[in-house]
Amino acid sequence: MTLAITIAIMVAGGVYLMLQRGMVRIVLGLILVGHAVNLLIMSAGGVFRRDLPLLQFGTALTAADPLPQAFVLTAIVIAFSIAIYMLTLAASGSDDDTEGNS
Amino acid sequence: MVLLLLLIVLAVTVASTPLLDRFLGRNAGWPIATVFLALTVLVALQAPQVLGAGTPVEYTRPWMPSLGVDLHLRMDGLGWLFTMLVTGIGTLIMAYSTRYFPPGRRLGFYCLMSVFAFAMTGLVLADDVVLLFVFWELTTIASFYLIGLSGLTADRPAIRTFLLTAMGGLTLLGAVTLLVIRTGTTQLSVILADPSWTQDPAFVSVVALLVMVAVFTKSAQFPFHYWLPDAMAASTPVSAYLHAAAMVKAGIYLAMRFTPAFAEVFLWNAMLITAGLVTALMGAFFALQQNDLKRLAAFSTVSQLGLLIAVIGVGTPEALVAASVHTVAHALFKSALFMAVGLVDHQTGTRDIRRLGGLRHRMPVTATIATLSALSMAGIPPLLGFISKENLFEAFLHAPGPGWFGPLAGVVAVGASVFTFAYSFRFVYRTFFGASRSEEGTEEATAGEARIGFWTPAIIAAFGGVLLGLTVPVLDPLVNTVATDATHAMVDTHLVLWHGFNAALFMSMAAVGLGSLLAWRSRAGDAMAGRDLVPFTGVGIFEALYGGIIRVGRRVGDLTRFDSPAYHLGVPMIVIIGLASVIAVVGLELPPVAGQTALGLDWLLVGLMAVAVGSAVVTRSRMAGLALVGVAGFTTALWLFFLGAFDVALTQLLVEILTVVVAVLVLRRLPRRFHSVKRRRTVLTAAVAVSAGLCAGVAAFALTGRRELSPAADYFLDNAPEDTGGTNVVNTILVDYRALDTLGELTVLGVAGLIIIAVLRSSDLLPTHGSRQIIVGATNAAYDPADNTVLMRTVGRFLMPLLVLWSLYLLFRGHNEPGGGFIAGLVGGAGFALVYLAAPSDRDARIRLTYPVIIGAGVLVAAFSGVLGFVDGSFLKPLHADIPLAWGGHFHFTTAFVFDIGVYLAVVGVLLTALNELGLERGSDTSGSREDPPTPQEGEIPVGDTNDASPMDDSTTGGKR
Repeated sequence: MTLAITIAIMVAGGVYLMLQRGMVRIVLGLILVGHAVNLLIMSAGGVFRRDLPLLQFGTALTAADPLPQAFVLTAIVIAFSIAIYMLTLAASGSDDDTEGNS
Repeated sequence: MVLLLLLIVLAVTVASTPLLDRFLGRNAGWPIATVFLALTVLVALQAPQVLGAGTPVEYTRPWMPSLGVDLHLRMDGLGWLFTMLVTGIGTLIMAYSTRYFPPGRRLGFYCLMSVFAFAMTGLVLADDVVLLFVFWELTTIASFYLIGLSGLTADRPAIRTFLLTAMGGLTLLGAVTLLVIRTGTTQLSVILADPSWTQDPAFVSVVALLVMVAVFTKSAQFPFHYWLPDAMAASTPVSAYLHAAAMVKAGIYLAMRFTPAFAEVFLWNAMLITAGLVTALMGAFFALQQNDLKRLAAFSTVSQLGLLIAVIGVGTPEALVAASVHTVAHALFKSALFMAVGLVDHQTGTRDIRRLGGLRHRMPVTATIATLSALSMAGIPPLLGFISKENLFEAFLHAPGPGWFGPLAGVVAVGASVFTFAYSFRFVYRTFFGASRSEEGTEEATAGEARIGFWTPAIIAAFGGVLLGLTVPVLDPLVNTVATDATHAMVDTHLVLWHGFNAALFMSMAAVGLGSLLAWRSRAGDAMAGRDLVPFTGVGIFEALYGGIIRVGRRVGDLTRFDSPAYHLGVPMIVIIGLASVIAVVGLELPPVAGQTALGLDWLLVGLMAVAVGSAVVTRSRMAGLALVGVAGFTTALWLFFLGAFDVALTQLLVEILTVVVAVLVLRRLPRRFHSVKRRRTVLTAAVAVSAGLCAGVAAFALTGRRELSPAADYFLDNAPEDTGGTNVVNTILVDYRALDTLGELTVLGVAGLIIIAVLRSSDLLPTHGSRQIIVGATNAAYDPADNTVLMRTVGRFLMPLLVLWSLYLLFRGHNEPGGGFIAGLVGGAGFALVYLAAPSDRDARIRLTYPVIIGAGVLVAAFSGVLGFVDGSFLKPLHADIPLAWGGHFHFTTAFVFDIGVYLAVVGVLLTALNELGLERGSDTSGSREDPPTPQEGEIPVGDTNDASPMDDSTTGGKR
């Protein structure tokens, strides 16, 4: 429930920024939506078990689902590389304006 | 085994062309010709078995067993004939090329010609339809590049030829696919012997039609004939080999090969005979109209191919005999004729009939070559062309079908031969006889005979036609075997030079007589030459169609072509909202929520997120927007921590910091404020955004968290320590269970880093934006960047090695405790970021490490650890070893750790790339103003806001502006 509300807030904010003018805001929007989707993946694993999946410290019986965690971990790094690539585009060429003359 | 040897030797020849070319230049043709000659002998040695005993040479080995595609090679009589053509004519052409080209290197030519010979040999030996198609396409590609080698003017002809023949390749693929699906095998000989599909009239007609289009495009039949004259843009050896003797014969080969299946199909017979005769007549007529010797020869080829196609369409054993004799005859006289054109062109510098004449005195050998091949082409005894034409006429007369059909076909064939005689006469007479029409003092007026090495290959081909004409019974076993292979009926004909007085002889005489009359009345073709009889050309129609298709495509594309990404991004959002609303109306049956989904502390995060996102949306400042999105990112990290994803939270935290660092490097090059937009747009986008958020939230609530732990999760939690020796389950999934995913992701990461470098090489970074220049007085504390970063630099000096050490520790322990390659790499990268931020200027900050190498090394190390897995059976399977330690106990080593090192290196490499590439002030690099400490100048100088590079500094310098 709380996670769903968080996702709703982030998607709304992210989509709004993505639809604005200028590369930087599009990138910021993309970052927000990326975070939201990562949380959605976590949510798919279930939020009712929240112990660390570190078996040295805890038991497998109460540990959270490790699979979405692995997905999200790689997703974060990929989203980061895409974000810095898009930022590079924003800072090269002429301007970060995406809609011609202002 | 012989067949495989043939292909291997040809492949090795292709591979050795760079070396030959390097040391021999244009003379590389000699060793290649020698190889071709040896192969010709090798193929000839198979004659007793293939032609004498009638048993094909076969070779089979599994190729793609899972698809049922095997490497089936088979040389029956038909295959033998065409293999001999490819290697034999190839030998002559390769030897000829050594003198045709000016001295110098000819890598592209020799390599592609060898590729073509390889492909063509494979095509005629393939006994597998998939293999057949692959080689068919390879000949098309070789032809495309060989035409294209002739420079910019050959650009369009090469593309036109390619598109047309590739279209034929596609229909062949269609036919092959249908056949494989229907018969369940890819072996050609089995397919052709299978009656189950040839008895199905509809199916066989469709396949016949598809094969026919392939044949017509490859062998330049009406209405696709125009590509062949167009392809004359290629150099003459290419034209002689590909567009006269070999490649255009691929269509002939295919038609003969499929004759057993299609001989009874009316559509096949009717279309082949009609299109073939139309092409023969039209090609011969157009040939007479040409002033360019090469175009004349090209239209002649079109015409002769038409006769071949038509006679194959007749389909009787007699017709197939005629087709095979004429294939041999045509290959000899046409390659000789092209080589003669090349000789004339090379010596005189022109191929224009109007500027030539009387060359026989100065080029007697070339005149002999041209005359002999033209006589064979015109069907004059005792040359081979005469015998083949007799057989053609005979076959047409006895064509099955209604009684009037045979004579009609015969008359049309005679008509084509009348023109053939006339243009052959035109070719020889206007070039070599009569008075010279060259202007005094020009190259063509003073040209002499070529050297012996240049004309020898041509004269061999020309005399081949004479020799085989006189000793024609030696061809009996060949043509009988070919006709037997092509019709599956026993054929036993005897070729003779003198048939006695029969219908075919009178037809030949009629052709020669009427041809002489035509040549005389038209003044050797001059009366007809150069006139446009139809107001359009094949090339014109092609270009119009081509342009039209491109225009339609552009029109369609226009529907979704916007400059602004907002449209592209908006459309999918609106579609998703639409879909979600439909589902909301229809409704879904949902299981109950499993367990507690909201803890009290969660609400704190919801509030934090609402504030961060809400402010990020309304702010007009780029820097504030970035900072607020950063807050949202930190909140996400907290969320992940709350959800028990410690490793993920750590990664998120580090990524968030580094994103801000990199983004600030970018933001200083851009204006302070975001662009302003119209109010209407704000309202509209806000509506879309709120709906999208609502959809996402409802979907997240409705569709997730309604089941117990997934079976996969249960498995990983239960078995990870035993399977992998690691207790950090998330890390074991990344580097053990799903390492291939991680390797893919790593590659994406590395590629992103390399793309950043590539983008910045092609398009420079913006300079620091004007509004971000800070003006500070010389007395100000912020004036000297070397001074005011001293604290950070001093701390950084100790912190940086510590960070790197710590990152290595995190890497090391990742398998069991929080850490691993990603986190460690990010921590290491943060160490470099610290060094960067602490440096007094961009210049000093450059970390002199070759970061693309680090990225590449990372991906390679990871891939290498995967290859190690093959020791235990599969890619990326981790190996384990317990290494005893000196102080007791043991260290558990796994190749998954090596993989993690690869991850670490790639992450560090990409971070270094981003910092260095984006941090550097390119514009000032050359001016040198950044290199030296700034010298005081009249009190105030502008200083770039390098130290503005973190949000904290933003507030401190803010007050001094």
